[in-house]
Amino acid sequence: MRLTFILQDFKKVGELTKQYSNLPDSYIKRSMEQIIYRTPDKPNYLRRSVGKKQIKFTENRPWTIQSKLENTLFTKTPVIYVEPIRDWSIFKGDRVEILVGRDKGKQGIVIQVIQERNWVLVGNLNMKITTMKMFKRKPSTVIREEQPLRVTDQVSLIDPSDMLPCKIEWRYTEEGEKVRVSLRSGRIIPIPILAKETYDYKTRTSYEEKDKDTTADVVSKITFTPRLCTFEMDLMDKVGIKEDRIPSPVYWY
Amino acid sequence: MQMKLYIQAYYKFNPFLSNCIRSHFGPLLNSPNFASFCTTRERFNKNLMEFFEDKKNWGKDEIRSGRSWKTDELRIKSNEDLHKLWYILLKEKNMLLTMEHFYKENYILFPSPERIDKVEESMKNLETVVRERNKAYYMLETGEDGERPGVMVHNAIGLPMYHKQEQHDIPKYENIQWKKNNVHEFDYEECREFLKLYREKIRKEDNYRRKKNNRYVKGLLKRFKNVDIDYLKEIYPDVNVDQYKNHDFQIGHWEV
Repeated sequence: MRLTFILQDFKKVGELTKQYSNLPDSYIKRSMEQIIYRTPDKPNYLRRSVGKKQIKFTENRPWTIQSKLENTLFTKTPVIYVEPIRDWSIFKGDRVEILVGRDKGKQGIVIQVIQERNWVLVGNLNMKITTMKMFKRKPSTVIREEQPLRVTDQVSLIDPSDMLPCKIEWRYTEEGEKVRVSLRSGRIIPIPILAKETYDYKTRTSYEEKDKDTTADVVSKITFTPRLCTFEMDLMDKVGIKEDRIPSPVYWY
Repeated sequence: MQMKLYIQAYYKFNPFLSNCIRSHFGPLLNSPNFASFCTTRERFNKNLMEFFEDKKNWGKDEIRSGRSWKTDELRIKSNEDLHKLWYILLKEKNMLLTMEHFYKENYILFPSPERIDKVEESMKNLETVVRERNKAYYMLETGEDGERPGVMVHNAIGLPMYHKQEQHDIPKYENIQWKKNNVHEFDYEECREFLKLYREKIRKEDNYRRKKNNRYVKGLLKRFKNVDIDYLKEIYPDVNVDQYKNHDFQIGHWEV
């Protein structure tokens, strides 16, 4: 029963963060869970585990070391209320207006999307300034950091026709494409290129091939010809092994 | 002796790594069976180094790699190609696991451990493709998929368990040893008592989860004014959302 709690937390990881990471799901799941001891998978043991069951999602991605330092063992995770959203509408690279706080009415571009908390970071806006005094005689350093803004009510998308904030709706075009449309002017707001950016590349075409990568020509080449045989039989034919023995009947139980 | 010198020269640029590796292969190199271990030393060196990572990647914090193979890409490939690919992947996995072990022993962080998962994922995809092809053949020829059969049975304690079946020469009623080891019946009073308590435990846990969901939905309605209620009902089908929607306790500080 306790193992299910860990899986629940993995379900909370947003699809956009997974897409950005370009990592397999099993790795994200493995890096998130901090388990000291797990009972061996044998009939005389019950399924139990000792470790941290839940994670507090913040600006740091859940598979990084920073998030592990935040969620150390035996720290309590508070209950955080996150409003469920059916269709996510704000992506990375979108122009956006801030509706609350010191920078109210200013426009900026989205740097990062944190889907787990319904947050968004806008570049060079809504900054928090902190002074750090490390040593007594040396001058202190000043750090500026973007603070997160809630997607549902603290930020709004901008209509490109008049550059003013608007409400949007998801609709389908005649070709069957899903697009965002502003309700005031009826204009389509295109999804930016930066939305498809991942950790490995900015755009798909600009990806640099690594040493162990297989090239696209080799991957797309068709070498399969259907034959009436199993995988093993086909290989045996290629190597030249002949098998004419008939196996004796057996009982399966 | 020559091998020892060779390794020393090979690892000279990083004294820390060289010390580690020397300590590992020290006993192997000094052993008398070393000469009989391989035919030619050059070949041995080359093959042995395939267990380790490429020389230029040593000491790096991060090693970039591409994504894993998808099933759609593997379905195009011939059986021979898949067979070759399997061994390439297996070799890579072997290398990664040895490197992980090596880093762990020397208290260093293993750079980009997601590579193991990527290799495992592509191996899993490859196996599914091979299994698909075999299944198609057996369904066409015999009307059964050639998979290993299995059934859901009850344990000796009374808990449900998946039993993987095996091949036997003699039928089930003659096999006394198998019957002793595999008991799929529970006709004891203690079992019934245990199951009664076990079910009660599960019921309690379900109840706890339901109450937790109720509390969470209440909190959501209290905090956020414009919640999509139809979507809430989809996510939490057990919770009666209409009951909490206009409750006095749920009204927040905003103007109604």
